[in-house]
Amino acid sequence: MLSIVVFGATLHATPRVAAPQVSPLVPTSDAIETYGSSGAPITMIVFTDYECPSCRALYENSLRPMINDYVASGKVYLVHHNFPLPQHKYGYEAARWATAAARVGEFANVEAALYDNQDAWAATGDISKYISAAMPTSEFRKVEQLMKGCSFNDAPGSCPLDASINADRALGEEIPVRATPTYVIMYKGHRLPAASGAVSWPILKQFFDSLLSQ
Amino acid sequence: MDTLAAALNWLAEWGFIFVVAGAIAAFCIRDPIQRRSLVRSLLVVGGIVLGSIFLAAAYGKLKPIPGFPWSWASMKTSIALFAIQVESYNLLSSSAANTVAHVLPFGELFLGVWLISGVWRRYSSLLASLVFVGFMIAIYSAYRRGLKIDCGCGVGPPEEAGPAALLRDGMRFLLPALIVTTGAFWLRKQTSAPRAAPTPVSAPAVR
Repeated sequence: MLSIVVFGATLHATPRVAAPQVSPLVPTSDAIETYGSSGAPITMIVFTDYECPSCRALYENSLRPMINDYVASGKVYLVHHNFPLPQHKYGYEAARWATAAARVGEFANVEAALYDNQDAWAATGDISKYISAAMPTSEFRKVEQLMKGCSFNDAPGSCPLDASINADRALGEEIPVRATPTYVIMYKGHRLPAASGAVSWPILKQFFDSLLSQ
Repeated sequence: MDTLAAALNWLAEWGFIFVVAGAIAAFCIRDPIQRRSLVRSLLVVGGIVLGSIFLAAAYGKLKPIPGFPWSWASMKTSIALFAIQVESYNLLSSSAANTVAHVLPFGELFLGVWLISGVWRRYSSLLASLVFVGFMIAIYSAYRRGLKIDCGCGVGPPEEAGPAALLRDGMRFLLPALIVTTGAFWLRKQTSAPRAAPTPVSAPAVR
């Protein structure tokens, strides 16, 4: 009985509320690999590798419906960071294509194309085929220009896009990212512990609804 | 609250040492009265240790996420976050993971309080043992199926659900639970055994 009373009393003890944190994970300007408004109450920061099957599962099962629903309605701001893994042969090149596409405003289409066709390009390495199909020809020409010196056979470091990818990786290593996908959720400036693995949209939505009702 | 949580975590982590040491001592004692007395004390300590394991587990799942005060709404948020973690292990369907996330923390809270209270200790410790056996079967199942505790595509060496995890959790959780269960049933048997019937006084023979 005593233990019940003690435990109940401690439940009602109110801890000090931590001050909101400013995070380097959320881009303040030139945010191009993002969805939605940076003023949304929830920010979800995702570290992914385009060749990772779990990242595809997260995108297809959760992020895509989330983008259409909670991002579109201004509840969630989605930030993407590249975290290509060495065990995935074409993951880094896919990240280069996505980064180049983001610079011409085609990130959303390219991300969808990369995940929708992951099995195909991961087997052959022919990523450009799916990138070109995901956007108008005029935009693809711009992406190709940005990709000069960035193909699979080009020497590492020759690609100007690598600086952005490597900066993302460095951010991920600070978290630290132990597996992809890893995501960090921030609510009104409060950063929650990082989580890994795919999650379904109903379960993620339930969490967001709970956060928004606070 | 943080101090209580730290104490619970410490007991959950290291309490098994007291239970195992007590069990060894009880096994070595020859005098039945002293042995019963020691087992009674061991059951009290064991109940607190086992209860701490469950209370620490429940606290970890129900405590508010950083920046939020204790409230029913913040606990619901923590449970929703736990549902994400359960689902990420890929062992259960979404609906099953959600059900587990909503039931498990309160089940752990109830069992923790029950174990510490000492009421019907035989049954509370038996239930705790069954829960730990189920938990270890889940780890073993994950190990057999080749799943990693780390989810998705790993970066570094993943923490595998292997023999090391089974041994560690078996020592910390299952062993004290089995000791307390065995001790509780043994003590019950000792105290409820029929005492030797007094020698009847023979009635004088009627001639």
